[in-house]
Amino acid sequence: MTQTYSKDDPTLLVDSPAAIIDAIPPYPPRSEREAEFYAVRDGEMLINLGPQHPSTHGVLRVVLKIEGEKIIDLDPVLGYLHRGVEKLCENADYHQAICYTDPLEYISSLFMELAPVMAFEKLLDLEAPRRAQYIRVLTCELNRVASHALFMGWLALDLGGLTPLLYAFVERDEIVEMLAAQTGQRMLFNYFRIGGVNGDLNHDFMSRLGDWMSRALKQVEANQRLLNENEIFLKRTKGLGVVDRGTALRLGMTGPSLRASGVPYDVRRAHPYLVYPELAFDVPTREEGDTYARYLIRLDEIKQSIHMIDQCLHKMPDGPVMAKIPRLIRPRPGRAFAAIESPRGQYACYAISDGTDQPFRMHLHDPSFVNLQAMGVVLPGNLIADTMAIMASLDPIMGGVDK
Amino acid sequence: MTVMARPWRRLSPTGRIVVPLLVLLVLLGLLGFVGLVTGLIPGLVDLVIRLAQANVGIVRFVIAVTAILLISIPIAFINGYAELKVIALMQSRIGPNRVGPFGTLQAVFHGFKMLAKEDFTPLGADRPAFTLAPVVVFLTVVLSFLVIPFAPGLFGADLNVGLLYFFAVGGLSVVGLLMAGWSSFNKYSLLGGLRSAAQIVSYEIPLTLSVVGTMSLNGIVEAQGGQFWHWYVFQQPLGFAIFFIAVSAEANRTPFDLTEADSEIVAGYMTEYSGMRFGFFYFAEYVSLFVISALTAVLFLGGWHAPVEIHAVAAFFGLTVPAVSLDPGQLGVGLLLLLTLGPLVGTLVFTVPVALWRTDWSIWRALLVGFLLFNVAVGALITIYAYVASEVVAGVFWFLAKTFTLVLVFIWIRTTLPRVRVDQLMAFAWKWLLPAALLNIFVTAAAIVVLR
Repeated sequence: MTQTYSKDDPTLLVDSPAAIIDAIPPYPPRSEREAEFYAVRDGEMLINLGPQHPSTHGVLRVVLKIEGEKIIDLDPVLGYLHRGVEKLCENADYHQAICYTDPLEYISSLFMELAPVMAFEKLLDLEAPRRAQYIRVLTCELNRVASHALFMGWLALDLGGLTPLLYAFVERDEIVEMLAAQTGQRMLFNYFRIGGVNGDLNHDFMSRLGDWMSRALKQVEANQRLLNENEIFLKRTKGLGVVDRGTALRLGMTGPSLRASGVPYDVRRAHPYLVYPELAFDVPTREEGDTYARYLIRLDEIKQSIHMIDQCLHKMPDGPVMAKIPRLIRPRPGRAFAAIESPRGQYACYAISDGTDQPFRMHLHDPSFVNLQAMGVVLPGNLIADTMAIMASLDPIMGGVDK
Repeated sequence: MTVMARPWRRLSPTGRIVVPLLVLLVLLGLLGFVGLVTGLIPGLVDLVIRLAQANVGIVRFVIAVTAILLISIPIAFINGYAELKVIALMQSRIGPNRVGPFGTLQAVFHGFKMLAKEDFTPLGADRPAFTLAPVVVFLTVVLSFLVIPFAPGLFGADLNVGLLYFFAVGGLSVVGLLMAGWSSFNKYSLLGGLRSAAQIVSYEIPLTLSVVGTMSLNGIVEAQGGQFWHWYVFQQPLGFAIFFIAVSAEANRTPFDLTEADSEIVAGYMTEYSGMRFGFFYFAEYVSLFVISALTAVLFLGGWHAPVEIHAVAAFFGLTVPAVSLDPGQLGVGLLLLLTLGPLVGTLVFTVPVALWRTDWSIWRALLVGFLLFNVAVGALITIYAYVASEVVAGVFWFLAKTFTLVLVFIWIRTTLPRVRVDQLMAFAWKWLLPAALLNIFVTAAAIVVLR
């Protein structure tokens, strides 16, 4: 039986405007933990961080329990950007499903399409031509540089520095324009196809890439000098939000956030895919596990990515960029799993085929969601101002978290 | 009004600012003409001058306050525009370039926009305090303007406790910020208000301790006369550093803008404000940027003194600078001739080269350009004459030059540095600035005793 509410219900009577605005907790509490969290003791205060807040990187809502400026406890509320991408994919054919995964982490959308494409290729038991694989690696690493550059800008902005964001955007804009020349889109590229890529590298892209490569390393380093030699930035990030090795592993964190805690796990090295085994690159790791380490890891990864782009350009073979595939894709019934290293960590796609032209089930494992959990471990005990720095250093994209 | 509605709609945003201003200018011109003809204006000016010469306190105060309120408006606009444009240039952007030449009217446009917005009071806010808070904040800033000497003899009031007055009134702004934070009925506002209270009260102490000594600002400027190495910044570098840091914290400038940290507490105490009340906070911020720069210039950069005393330099080489004494009245009928023929001849003199240079232009266009060039030249000549002939103009020139240089430095700092954390801010004030200020006092006192 469902309970019916009436306006005359005395429990719903509001006698002051304060009562309307203070009603943050879901009523009645849905779990013991919730009841405990929303029982506010003397001197404590609940504050709603988001979903509309300048620096929650999208629509993340975190209810903070604070004492003065110190955070005692927090309750993240997710789902403001939930679109049901996995369900949408189940109702689309294999080509269309790729478009739905594109905007998950809209900062690095090439990676978002790469994992499903690889999973579907495994289902079909086909392999993309080698030139297509090189092109995939090349464009993905470019996208990684763009994503990491933007991360630096955001971290600085959340710490109150205005300028690095603009410099980051200059960097990102060059790459994005370059990719737009190749793929036709600036943000949601939709470039990878099952069995290859959509179109060979064109002249516009190559000339822009050559132009950028000639000064990329210098430019990136010049931009970072504004932060790396800044005393206030160092004071605010060093030793802040330390995630130790064990915690990071137990939480299942991946990507730069994990490598900053001293675990040299990189999907490109641990479970190689595409042509990564043929490329020489380091997996930078750091031991500190703090915000500054997570920042520096990304700096190092940008340099590694530029190195890899260089190798791709030198080793790229001639040949077709698409495998011969049937127009209508109907894989045999089966399951396939493909994991890649996205700029935020291990992004994976698990697809089940039932023999029709639509995936029976498609699960997307998103690194943002997993890494965001570290917030609950790290934040209590810090100040409100540090919330932003720690959150920015974990680099979640809410499109991926909420799916 | 319906007759005006159609042309008004057709105007560009720039036109909507310029046209009313032009109308106002024409009306003022007409009024001035009528006043001059009927002898009202000379009479009034005479009265004001006599009252000012009689040095009646209340008259001087009223004049000073009116003048300060009036000049605070263009100062806020200039600072607002400078902040937009300079930050844009430092971030490799273009910045405002739509409203007015090089976007110079952007700040004015922002002001008009503020006026047009809804003046909203949130549900549950403490109305009187919420309404009064921007006024309090604005007043404290404008009142602290009163003691700043712009040039020899050009100041609101020469209090013998001028510096103390400045700090006292400046410290009052915390009351306004707390009122805003508390009355807004918003937790972010509350946090911002409390932060501002803690910050301003802490930084008041090193700020005051860094400049112990004479309290009269006029006296301080006069003591720095001579060459630029007589400025206090070269005699008290540590004091200057402490003062500069503390004053930027006092005025909530980056890296100490914790009270309005947009990435942490949305907009701090301003979160719930809208319309012109919000505008007042911004207004106060820009005027206070000018005021702190002016105070720094007065205390450490010699105020109205030029960096190089030309007479002393000339005397060093055995020369004397001739005193300029050109009274236009001496010319007699010649003045009339100059006024009638000068513009014609001058315009022609500038038109001829323009017409020869740009042969494709029509003669009217060349004449217009020649006339504008003539105006520029005359303006420059008058400025130079005024600078040489009048101590006050020279003083105002150097004072404004120093002040706006400091404004640019503050903007530069804002572009470069991230924000400090609240505990680091407090630790810095109590653990570093305060001991440094005390050490500075001790060393200075010891030096004075030893030198005597």
